[in-house]
Amino acid sequence: MSGNTNIDQARHPAADAVAMFFKNKPAIVALFVLVLIIIAGLIGPLLYPIDPFDMVWAPFGLPGEDGFILGTDYLGRDLFAGILHGTRVSLQVGLTAALMTVLIGVTVGALAGYFLGWVEEVLMRITEFFQVLPTLLFSMVIVALFGASLPMITFAIGLVSWPAVARITRAEFLRIRELEYVTASRAAGAKNLKLIFKVILPNALPPIIVQAALMVGSAILFEAGLSFLGLTDPNIVSWGQIIGSNRPYILDASYTVTFPGLAIFITVLCLSLVGDGLNDALNPKLRQR
Amino acid sequence: MHSLFKMMTLAAAATVVLSAPASAQDTPVKGGTMVMTINQTPRHLNPAVQSGTATGVPGAQLFAAPLRYDEDWTPQPYLAESWEVAEDGLSVTLNLVEGAVFHDGKPITSEDVAFSVKTIQENHPFKTMFAPVTAVETPDAQTAILQLSQPHPALMLAMSSQLMPIIPKHVYGDGQDPKTHPQNAENVVGSGPFKLVEFTRDEHVILERFDDFFMEGRPYLDKLVMRIIKDPSARAIGLENGEIHMGTFEAVARDIKRLQAVDSLTATPEGYAAIGPIDWLAFNTATGNTADVNVRQAIAYAIDRNFIIKAIHQGLAEEAATGIHPGSPLYETNVDNYELDLDKANQILDDAGYARGDGDMRFGLTIDFGWPELKPNAEYVKAALKKIGIDVTVRSSPDFPTWANRISNYEFDMTWDTVFNWGDPVIGVHRTYQSTNIKPGVIWSNTQSYQNERVDELLEMAGIETDPSKRAELYSEFQKITAAELPVYWTNTLPYHTVYNNKVGNPPLGIWASSSPMDLMYLKP
Repeated sequence: MSGNTNIDQARHPAADAVAMFFKNKPAIVALFVLVLIIIAGLIGPLLYPIDPFDMVWAPFGLPGEDGFILGTDYLGRDLFAGILHGTRVSLQVGLTAALMTVLIGVTVGALAGYFLGWVEEVLMRITEFFQVLPTLLFSMVIVALFGASLPMITFAIGLVSWPAVARITRAEFLRIRELEYVTASRAAGAKNLKLIFKVILPNALPPIIVQAALMVGSAILFEAGLSFLGLTDPNIVSWGQIIGSNRPYILDASYTVTFPGLAIFITVLCLSLVGDGLNDALNPKLRQR
Repeated sequence: MHSLFKMMTLAAAATVVLSAPASAQDTPVKGGTMVMTINQTPRHLNPAVQSGTATGVPGAQLFAAPLRYDEDWTPQPYLAESWEVAEDGLSVTLNLVEGAVFHDGKPITSEDVAFSVKTIQENHPFKTMFAPVTAVETPDAQTAILQLSQPHPALMLAMSSQLMPIIPKHVYGDGQDPKTHPQNAENVVGSGPFKLVEFTRDEHVILERFDDFFMEGRPYLDKLVMRIIKDPSARAIGLENGEIHMGTFEAVARDIKRLQAVDSLTATPEGYAAIGPIDWLAFNTATGNTADVNVRQAIAYAIDRNFIIKAIHQGLAEEAATGIHPGSPLYETNVDNYELDLDKANQILDDAGYARGDGDMRFGLTIDFGWPELKPNAEYVKAALKKIGIDVTVRSSPDFPTWANRISNYEFDMTWDTVFNWGDPVIGVHRTYQSTNIKPGVIWSNTQSYQNERVDELLEMAGIETDPSKRAELYSEFQKITAAELPVYWTNTLPYHTVYNNKVGNPPLGIWASSSPMDLMYLKP
């Protein structure tokens, strides 16, 4: 072809989003740190095979003492090993709970936003019911009633966190279902299921993805909160569990809660920055900003 | 060894004045308001129908018992100015102080003593205390004779402190259930040195001097405020800044250590000999791997008492090698001691045929703990037993009833627990080991399902043996057998401390700590 060469190359919106994301420096740094944390969680325990439940040194060994870079806790257990092993558990809880939140939230929100009428009435009343319950107290009750095992804690976090996703999904559905391409699909004979999952949902995804990323962070915080209150499985190390069990010694050995606290802080901050980056990247209206 | 029986027969020592632990140059000062703490909200204030120190500490101020004890386990006259134990040990005569009155001004008579014994027998959870008492005779208003079906050496201790409060028949004998009597918590009509001003749940119990108390000139304090503070650190801060004069039953090592370093405070473990708190690891001896005595012994060899005492209790606790508190004159030191020895522990398990399998583990066990303070102990056992190939799963309970249900229905392998001796073994020790006391659903009964005919026999004989040296021998054999068979593995005394401001004179440092009358306590100017 000759002549007019300044036609804009049509680009896939995802590529646009990726380009946009990589312009956001804090988000890139956060993503990098997050990847490091995930790698540490995956292979860290193999490289540093000290069992976090073994008593390896005198209690309250200071950081750096005898090679234990973060010191030891009240029973002389290696704090670094605890944090490293806890990474996997904390991330696992965060991801699983976020996934559960998205599954419940999207299903409820999509059905309510698509069908309207009594379906919406019923589903949104249920959502509101969960929304007005104090989340921490409600999850404490669940864990106290059914036992403080890791799956139950994850379940409790997921169960109390989905209303936000449901509301966002419903709002998106309400907006998109009236758009012309949806009407066009419907006119072309698309069934409800196809309209929901193939037509509307993909277009409603960006804010949901952002919400899910933030959800991982808040689930990690939630687990830490529950553990801090003692609602935790004592046979599994998580960051919150380390903080919870060392809390009584905070005046004598503050580092035993500082380091796991830092781990939570950094991870949640990174997740939050990445979430912001995704938000900017996936929201086309902000691209000119 | 002190002889309990000699103390009993020494009864006529009627006019002994309680020797104050403070030095002679300190003359008690009258007046003042003292602030102390209790660590839980009492269900109510009537110790006749409720055990536990939350009720007992205010209860022992509101109600007087016939006897009191000094710090050498010697009984002293209190509401009974003298007493006699019959030659055959089958009756005890109490001669009450003349002119003693209840807080409502009505006289305290032998009728009230008889009524109190009956109420305690019918309602108090410690059934063994007065079980042999068949009748209380009241020949005159000042004399009460307790008739016994068999000699009962534990009776002397059971007639002191919070265990035998003399309650007014004309108030609590009105036909209402004593356990839920409205005057258990308000308008309490007591017989003790202090009367009730106000009891507000989760806040405080306020007591004031009872002017017509039967001991002339006592109590010294005008007012005794007991603040109910559950959080140990909050109590510690209150003591540090002088807001609180005294805390008793303090057991958190790091707080005690911190308070010991404060110049204006004294922290002492004295005064808990009769309370007798022991931390122990209890086993389910009926089912599972812990039913095998070899397993229990191996576990005992793998657990380092020293570590628990030095690391968890920061050196404040004392070793306890048997079910009888080391502070008791009946404590036997010459028993199997289970010094840390991993090789031996492994050897025992190998010989008993527990081969190491998956992940180098022989078998798995669960461990529970009665309250949050014992969680480090449970975590320690998990780490310690891993070394001998036992895979331990720590089970946490969301609250006390959940744990109590599990243990008392035998759904456990091992559990940490803290249990009180309550002065005489008959009251606080027998319940754990007697096969007749295996009672589903009852916590602190023989939840280990331990059965040994000789132990049953020994405890039964010791319960009625009046010769102190023979009694000590029976308990000695009992301690040796149980230390060999290990229905529970005792590790240490719970390091209860009394922490008091140096302004406090005569803090309660007898054998019953603050669960005893504090009429001698005063505030230095």
